[in-house]
Amino acid sequence: MPENRDPVVHLDRQFWIVTAVLGVLALISIFWWVWAPITSIMPEAVDKAQQIDALFRFLAASGTALFIFICGYILYFSLAFRRHAGTPENAVGIQIHDNNKLEFWWTLAPTVFVVIMAIFSLRIWYGIEVAPSNTLVVEAIGHQWYYTFRYPNVNGEVKEMHLPLGQAVTLHVTSSDVIHSFWIPAMRLKADMVPGLINTFEFTPTRQGRYEIICTEFCGLNHGLMHSGTTVNPAYVYIDPPARYASWYARTEREQIHASNAIEAASTSELKLNGGEPRDGAKLFAAKCSACHAAGPFDQKIVGPGLRGVLDDPAHPNLVDGDKATPENVAKILQNGFKGSMGQMPNQAANGLSNKDIVNLVAYLKTLK
Amino acid sequence: MTAVAAHAGGGLADHIHPEPQGFIRKYVFSIDHKIIGIQYMITAFLFMILGGMLAELIRVQLMKASGGLMTPETYNEVYSVHGSTMVWLVIIPLLTGGFGNLIFPVQIGARDVAFPWLNMLSFWLFPPAGLMLYASFLMGAPTAGWTEYPPMSLNAYGAHDGTSMWAAAIFLIGVSSTMTGINFLVTILKMRAPGMTFTRMPLFVWGQFVTAPLLMIATTALGAALAALFVQRQFGVAFFDPTRGGSPLLWQHMFWFYSHPAVYIMILPAFGMISEILPTFSRKPIFGYKMIAFSSCAIAILGFMVWAHHMFTSGLAPALQLPFMVLTMLIAIPTGVKIFSWVTTLWGGVIHMTTAMLFAIGFLATFTLGGITGVFLAAVPFDLHAHGTYFIVAHLHYVLVGGSLMGILAGLFYWYPKMSGRLMNEKLGKWAFWLFFIGFNGTFLPMHWLGMWGQPRRVAVYDPQFQAWNQVASWFSFVMTAALILVLFNALWSMRNGKRSGPNPWNARTLEWQIPSPMPYYNFKHVPSVFAAPYDFAEPLPYRGLEEELT
Amino acid sequence: MAVASVTHGAYAGVMSEEPDQLYVETRELRIQGFLLFMVSDLVLFSSFIFAYLYLRNSGQGWPAGGPKLDIALAAVNSIVLFGSGATMHFALENWKHRNFTKFANWIVMTIILGAGFLSGQVLEYIHIGARWSSGIFGASFYTLTGMHGLHVFAGIIYLTVLLLQAAQGKYTFTKYTGLTLGTLYWHFVDVIWVVLFSIFYLL
Ligand code: HEA
Ligand code: HEA
Ligand code: HEC
Ligand code: CUA
Ligand SMILES: [Cu+2]
Repeated sequence: MPENRDPVVHLDRQFWIVTAVLGVLALISIFWWVWAPITSIMPEAVDKAQQIDALFRFLAASGTALFIFICGYILYFSLAFRRHAGTPENAVGIQIHDNNKLEFWWTLAPTVFVVIMAIFSLRIWYGIEVAPSNTLVVEAIGHQWYYTFRYPNVNGEVKEMHLPLGQAVTLHVTSSDVIHSFWIPAMRLKADMVPGLINTFEFTPTRQGRYEIICTEFCGLNHGLMHSGTTVNPAYVYIDPPARYASWYARTEREQIHASNAIEAASTSELKLNGGEPRDGAKLFAAKCSACHAAGPFDQKIVGPGLRGVLDDPAHPNLVDGDKATPENVAKILQNGFKGSMGQMPNQAANGLSNKDIVNLVAYLKTLK
Repeated sequence: MTAVAAHAGGGLADHIHPEPQGFIRKYVFSIDHKIIGIQYMITAFLFMILGGMLAELIRVQLMKASGGLMTPETYNEVYSVHGSTMVWLVIIPLLTGGFGNLIFPVQIGARDVAFPWLNMLSFWLFPPAGLMLYASFLMGAPTAGWTEYPPMSLNAYGAHDGTSMWAAAIFLIGVSSTMTGINFLVTILKMRAPGMTFTRMPLFVWGQFVTAPLLMIATTALGAALAALFVQRQFGVAFFDPTRGGSPLLWQHMFWFYSHPAVYIMILPAFGMISEILPTFSRKPIFGYKMIAFSSCAIAILGFMVWAHHMFTSGLAPALQLPFMVLTMLIAIPTGVKIFSWVTTLWGGVIHMTTAMLFAIGFLATFTLGGITGVFLAAVPFDLHAHGTYFIVAHLHYVLVGGSLMGILAGLFYWYPKMSGRLMNEKLGKWAFWLFFIGFNGTFLPMHWLGMWGQPRRVAVYDPQFQAWNQVASWFSFVMTAALILVLFNALWSMRNGKRSGPNPWNARTLEWQIPSPMPYYNFKHVPSVFAAPYDFAEPLPYRGLEEELT
Repeated sequence: MAVASVTHGAYAGVMSEEPDQLYVETRELRIQGFLLFMVSDLVLFSSFIFAYLYLRNSGQGWPAGGPKLDIALAAVNSIVLFGSGATMHFALENWKHRNFTKFANWIVMTIILGAGFLSGQVLEYIHIGARWSSGIFGASFYTLTGMHGLHVFAGIIYLTVLLLQAAQGKYTFTKYTGLTLGTLYWHFVDVIWVVLFSIFYLL
């Protein structure tokens, strides 16, 4: 069996010149990415956008540099080692098989690079995930093919999203039908809106203005229209100075109360809610409510919302009528009924409930966690 | 090696099947791996014309921001079937059933695969499945993309009846893939010629060897997902319907558990092809043989552990995002080792710039770009911005068209003589390469920034500010189409008019080149024995027992 | 199943006439192919088991207090199935000891036990009274046990065919790969049942 001893290899001057040229090109590209005017094309509207852009610059710079080297060598080798017209037909190249040192280094180098990249990404990721305290909680709900929003104490759903500048926001997103997605390019953030699931992100708006919201998850016929460029339901988030936000909020709160045309109160009597019997409530629920409500999470909608955690769901601190989720307010809905964006919740008389029933139902709903 | 000892008496296929006579047994229901390979290729190239036409329909529609060619409804059908066709009816069949069948059994010195009948069955599931997929247009083709996420793929939300047909068609393809995987794995494990140890196997065989388990395991998981979707749609079995307790995310897990390994099904054999073509035309041993073979295994194993990187925005628990992100990035290391080894293989060679070599070199450049954007996507914060946009479309075409398809075209020019006994026309081929390379980059490069600026994928109409770049993409895509028409023409024309190639036109050293072109029914008159690795161009051939093959 | 019958069937016809050398090789291929088939079958079950565990833990719509499964019936049924595993083992042992009659008796016994298990499953289905389309319980329970039932059913046919083939002399006392594979398959189906029983009845 013939020995295949590898010949000694020398890299000539030409190789090092090419390497130097590629190094310069790579440096230029790195500088370009570090100072690239990203924000003049896409503004950074929230604090986290800056962090993500930093990661983007890092990735793009190193990726481009790497690509320049690889392509440069490919090009150089293919030209320099081309077979020339005079080369004999049976000429062979340098018969080397491997070079353990070289292979060691070029395994180690990307490994180190991957580690750096992973650490960098992790830090940014961590910065995105940490929740600021004392936030404004807003819910965004995807529908085929528009978005609605819920605000604390605002009755029902509104069609525009306004956020106060400089105030930390917690955004819960979900869907009422298929999977949508909530992407604000200016925030560099996105989360899918999945029916039956609540996704959350946190940020603080840092730049005033009107920004586009885009749906990036295929959601049916008009998926392509679920962004700002449409005339029917243009999707924007408005980042306002706190004063302007406050007046928008006050106005909305007022209008939505009128809009809700709640059914006339069937009973105004105050209930005493203690002493309810959850077991009786459960039976009542099965008999009278389960046609419209699942004992699942809010988004598991039948006619009305799922009721697991009505009284204990951090993602839904408020009831559909905008009131705080307290036993008293639930009882009020059961007494008066409510008509909102999902439909009509019958009142006490229509559901055939006695006051005792309501007490028992509330006791039961408390157990649904 | 025990396997080698067991073969000392000659090949298995010696006794089993006499060469069939008659057109049907010979060319239609053939059990010969080479005929089956060619059948796969013809069928897959036909589907590629269909899938490519759909792609051009997409590009024509997107010439104008307001669309205009099709309704959104039709558009959704078009890209869904385009994606499904290209993945399941073109790239996977070409790389495994097609080139795999045709070449690797010869490269290990076998006379056929382990289960020729099963092989025939695998093939014959494929055309009906493809027809079923296209038949779904009659009842309303699927619209929710090749990924068919529920609830969008459930009729209640606007999916068409054809979605069930889609599920059934892909299921059939899956059964076919699973059988191919089992077949190839047994063949490579048990049927290598004497002396063909694992470290002497040509790298294309390594490519098939690591792909086969992916075919077998991942595809079965896909079968489960498709079956569940099918019964959900047809019998109301609540796997994925959120209004009845099912979970849409369950589908995503099941689908990507297959489809991420599937992207390696679509690239590992192409890696193998490149590893054959580069040394042959550089007249140099492949650099770092062992590392290339080993890194394929690493990729295949890691490939099973990263599927959720497609779901970073879908509500995966944060504690899960991190391991998936890190594992995904790790794949860059073995892949990088390959890229570096290939580039080094060029160094110091005597490079014959044939068309096959051009495509292989083009592959190196474009696949690297696609791979690097893949690593970007693995970084969760980056993916939060890029997911669901044209950046993804750019990434996937760079790896699939610039990677898999380029590899296939390189392989076509390289191995064409082994099918037909003739060479493809080199001049036409070089024209086709340059048109393809320019057209390809012009089409898909702009999609990177389109996505970053805000164009979502799967839209029939879009924001007018993106129109200019979309037009650029569309015009260049016509160039790419022209190039592919040239390739197709070249292949058809050369069948009759190509230069006769003789057994070994490229002076290559693997076993398939040591027997006549086209390859005879039993491949080898005597099964050869092997005593060294195949790529030492300065040495005599490392085979014994081939003296009579060319007589 | 298709894979199994083809990998098996492709060579079954020529087996007994082949020279010993070839027999050894073909046998190796077939065993390997069959094992790989079972690996992919295992993946199929695992996928649905994963789906079941995922759905159950996603916490929506799993019947409160658990579905009404009859654990006693299932336990008896399990014993029947394991018994059939034992009888199949005896069948093969007797073949190895060149006793055709005993082999045939044991294999018939296995088939009867398998059929018994299936009847038990039918009883359980009737008892539960839920439907395939009733929520995620129906989806995962009926899909998994149904798939398993189909495997048992296919196994019964498989064993019957093996018995007939053996009676016709397709296998000799030295060349009986087909019987080994059949036994392997039957044990595989047993093992799957252990898993299903634990995750549905004990979890
Ligand atoms: C597997 C490989 C593969 C291949 C090869 C291609 C090839 C091409 N693809 Fe595709 N593509 C996918 C896989 C692939 N694609 C996938 C998986 C998706 C995602 C789908 C989804 O969202 O679900 C996608 C989506 C996709 C989109 C995004 C659609 C959207 O999100 O709205 C676009 C848009 O431009 C596109 C374009 C193209 C083009 C122009 C080609 C060209 O390269 C095609 C060129 C080929 C030909 C033209 C065929 C050869 C032609 C002949 C032999 C002659 C006859 C033809 C004519 C006369 C026209 N593809
Ligand atoms: C052949 C097919 C193929 C291949 C090989 C790959 C390879 C890779 N892919 Fe890709 N991918 C797809 C096909 C493929 N992909 C498709 C079709 C989709 C979209 C599906 C859909 O939604 O429709 C997708 C989507 C996709 C996503 C999801 C994006 C999203 O939807 O949000 C991600 C995220 O991590 C990803 C990552 C990667 C990575 C890390 C690799 C790695 O394997 C790449 C490794 C290669 C390199 C890195 C280059 C060479 C290496 C070096 C030169 C060494 C040094 C480099 C570094 C250290 C960075 N891909
Ligand atoms: C005819 C259908 C129907 C019936 C029956 C019904 N509901 Fe409702 N319910 C609704 C709808 C619709 C809403 C949501 C109204 C909206 O916001 O649009 C709702 C809302 C509610 C809410 C507020 C949920 C939240 O998260 O804010 C509670 C609590 C509630 N229902 C309890 C009950 C109980 C208890 C019963 C049984 C006695 C019951 N409902 C019967 C339709 C119904
Ligand atoms: Cu909503 Cu796409
Ligand atoms: Cu992936």
